[in-house]
Amino acid sequence: MDSLIRNSDKLAKHHAGASQKSLNSLAQLISTLEQHTDPAQQQHAIAATTKQITEQLKDLYTNISKYGKLVEKTFKLDLTSIGSTFDHSSVLNESILLHFLREGDFATAQVFAREAQLELPSVRGQFEEMYQRVEEIRRHELTRAIEWAVDHHDRLDSLGIPLEFSLHRLRFLQLIEEGQVTEALAHAREWFPRFSAQSMAEIEHLMGIFIYSRRLPSSPYSPLFTEQRWEDIAHMFASAFCTLLGLSSMSPLTTAVGAGARALPIVCKVSSLLREKRLEWSQQNELPVEVPVPDEMRFHSVFACPVSKEQATEDNPPMMMPCGHVVCQVSLEKLAKGVRPGSIASGRFKCPYCPGLSVLSDAKRVYF
Amino acid sequence: MDKINVDHMLAIEEPFMKAPLEQLKRSLRQSQKLVERETQQVNSAISSMVNNHDNLSAAEVNKTLGELVERLQTLKRKLEEAKQEETQLIRRSKQRATDLNELSTFTSTTQPEFQRWCRTRMDRILIDYMLRNGNVETAERLIENSHLEHFADTSLFALVMSTERELREENSCRSALQWCVENRSALRKIQSTLEFELRLQEFIEMIRERKTPDAIAYAKKHLAAWSDTEMPRFQRAMTLLAFSPSTNCPPYKNMFDMSRWDHLAHQFRMVIFQLFDLPAQPLLHLLLQTGLSALKTPACVSADPTEHNRNCPVCHTETLGKLAKDLPLSHHVNSNLVCRITGDKMNEDNPPMRLPNGFVYSLNSLTDMAAKNDGKVKCPRSGQVFSFSDAKKLFIS
Ligand SMILES: [Zn+2]
Ligand SMILES: [Zn+2]
Ligand SMILES: [Zn+2]
Repeated sequence: MDSLIRNSDKLAKHHAGASQKSLNSLAQLISTLEQHTDPAQQQHAIAATTKQITEQLKDLYTNISKYGKLVEKTFKLDLTSIGSTFDHSSVLNESILLHFLREGDFATAQVFAREAQLELPSVRGQFEEMYQRVEEIRRHELTRAIEWAVDHHDRLDSLGIPLEFSLHRLRFLQLIEEGQVTEALAHAREWFPRFSAQSMAEIEHLMGIFIYSRRLPSSPYSPLFTEQRWEDIAHMFASAFCTLLGLSSMSPLTTAVGAGARALPIVCKVSSLLREKRLEWSQQNELPVEVPVPDEMRFHSVFACPVSKEQATEDNPPMMMPCGHVVCQVSLEKLAKGVRPGSIASGRFKCPYCPGLSVLSDAKRVYF
Repeated sequence: MDKINVDHMLAIEEPFMKAPLEQLKRSLRQSQKLVERETQQVNSAISSMVNNHDNLSAAEVNKTLGELVERLQTLKRKLEEAKQEETQLIRRSKQRATDLNELSTFTSTTQPEFQRWCRTRMDRILIDYMLRNGNVETAERLIENSHLEHFADTSLFALVMSTERELREENSCRSALQWCVENRSALRKIQSTLEFELRLQEFIEMIRERKTPDAIAYAKKHLAAWSDTEMPRFQRAMTLLAFSPSTNCPPYKNMFDMSRWDHLAHQFRMVIFQLFDLPAQPLLHLLLQTGLSALKTPACVSADPTEHNRNCPVCHTETLGKLAKDLPLSHHVNSNLVCRITGDKMNEDNPPMRLPNGFVYSLNSLTDMAAKNDGKVKCPRSGQVFSFSDAKKLFIS
C-alpha cells in the first residue's frame, strides 16, 4: 500500500511533466505555422510534433497500466465472480432511510425520502430529543447533552456505555482549549471522581494537561483536540440514546455492511469455486465456509458439536453429559450404542473429552 | 480484541481504486486519437495547398493557414482540458489510497478511529449506491458531509444516468451512439455488440415510421459493417423490412417491442461498468448479501420472537431480515455461545452455566444476579427461580 502511494506520486510527476511537454511542442508547432515558413518545413514540424506527443502519451499509458497492476496486486479481489442479483430495492431503500434517521442525519433522510419516493416514518417525534442534542454537539454545545447523560446515569452505567464520562471529558478539553483553566479544574472536581473506578488512568492522564495549558498545540495532548472528536461524540450519543430506547445500539445497516466487509472476500473465493461446479453460493442452504466475525457481531449462540462438527438443530439438540461436556443428540446415541471399540457394557460409555462415564438417560438437554 | 485483517478489508475497495485508472486510460486514448486526427488533417491541408500553389492567392494561403492555426489551438485547448482532468484523476487515486491506508494504523476494531473509518466507508458505499440509482441529491449531501469528493465518480455515473434516461424516456440513441463511436476500439476488445444493437434500434424506428428507403440506406451504411460477426442477426434485421409493427410473428414482434429501449439502457450500463472495471452491482448489494448471510442463524428465522436479538440485523424481520430471507445460513465449525442476559461471549473466562430447567447463561451474569438476590437466580426466559448453587458449569470443547 505504501508503495502504491509512492507510485501515485511518481505517476503524478510523470504526468505533469509529460503533458506539459506535449503542450509545449504543440505551442511550438503553432508558432511555426504562424511564421508562414516553407510548407515542407511545416509538414516536417507536424510529423515531429505528432510523434513526440504520441510517444509521451504511450509512455504515460504504460505507466498507468503498471500502476493498475500494482493496484490489482494490492487489492486482489475479483468482485465479478459474485454476480447474483438482489431484487429488493424498496426494502433496501427503507433500510437506508432508517439508517440515516438512526445516525441522527435527519436532513439527509428527508432528501433521500423525497428522491426515492419513500414516506418518512414517524420516528421524528421519538428521535426529536436525540436530533436536538446531536445537532448541539456538532455545534460544540454540550450542556444539554451532559444533562441528559447525568439524568440517565444509572441505565448508561448498567449497560456499560461510557457516554457520560466521554461528555465530561470533552467538556473539560473544551474549557482547556478556551483557556478557562479555573473552570476546567472546577469541572474536573465536580465530575471526574464519579468515574474514578472505571477511568482512573484516563483521568490521571487528563489532569496532566494543566502543565501545558498555555502551549497546547505543541504539547503531547494536541492529538486530543481533533475536529473529529465532536462527530465521534455525536455518534456515541445517538447510539446510547437508541440503546436506551430499546433499539439496536448500532445502525443495523452499519452492522450488516461491517459483516459484509469481512464476508465478501471469503464468499468471492468460494463463489468462484462453486461456479466451477455450476452452483451459486446464494442458492445454498448454508455458506460452505465459516466467516470469522468479531465478538460484537455475534448475536446468537451457535452450538457446533465437537464430535460430529455439525450445528445442533431442534431435531438434533445439544445434550449435556453428567461431566458437563456437551455433544449433539446423534453423537451421544452413537457413543451409547458402543460404536466406538472399547465402549463398556451395560450402556455405560466414556465421555470423549474426559474420563467421565455416563449412560444415555443421564444426558440432559441444554438451551443456549 | 479483534485484529483487523487489512488485506481483506482493502480487497473490497478495489472498484474505488480501479475506476479512476480506467478513466485515465480512456482520457489518454482519446487525446491520442484527437492528436492523430487533427495533425493528419492539418498536414493534408498543407499538402493540397502545395499542390494547388499556382491557383491560390497570397490572401487565400494566409486565410487557410490562419484556419489551420486555429484548429491546432483548439486541439491545444482540448489537450489542456484533458491534462487538468487527468491531474485530478491521479490526485483522486492517491487520495483514495491514502485514506484507505489509514487502516494499517489501527490495532483494534473497538478503537474510535477505526469506527470512524468504518463510518466513512459506509458513506462511501452509500454514495456509490446513490449515484448508481440516480439519487444525486442524496449523494451530494453525503459527499459534502463526509468530505468525500475524491471518492465519488460523479461524472461517470452522471453520464450513465443521462444516457440511460435518453434511451428509456426519449427513445433516442444519440448519446449512447456517440459514446460507442468514441470508444469503438475498447468495445471491440470486449466484443461488445452494443453499437450494433443501437444501430439496429435506429433502423427499427425507421421501419416503424414507414421510412423504408431511409431504413435501407441506413442499413447499408451502419448495419452492413456488422454482417461479418452478426450475420444471422443482420439478415433478420433486413427481413424486418417485410413486416409491419403490428406483426404477431414472434422474433419480429419482439424487435418492434418498446421494451427493447429498456434492454438497451441496461446493456449500456453493463458495458460501461465492464469497461471501467466496476462491479455490475453496487458494492452495497454485494456487502449486504454476504454480510447478512454471514450473520444469519436459525435463531434469526425462528418464529419465536424471544429467539431474536435486537442488535442482530437479520432479526429485523421487516427490513434487513427480508433481504436475508433467501440467503444461506452462516456456517460454524466451532461453537459460539452468547449469554442471553448480557450479550457477552461465553468461554473459559466466563463459562456457560446450565440452570436446572436446561437454559444456559453466563457465569458472570448469574453471579451478579445471585449477589443482588440472596443467592437466587431467575431464568429470564421461563421466569423460574433457582438457587445459584444449582447451576451447573458446562464444558464446550
Ligand atoms: Zn454430534
Ligand atoms: Zn466429559
Ligand atoms: Zn439474528
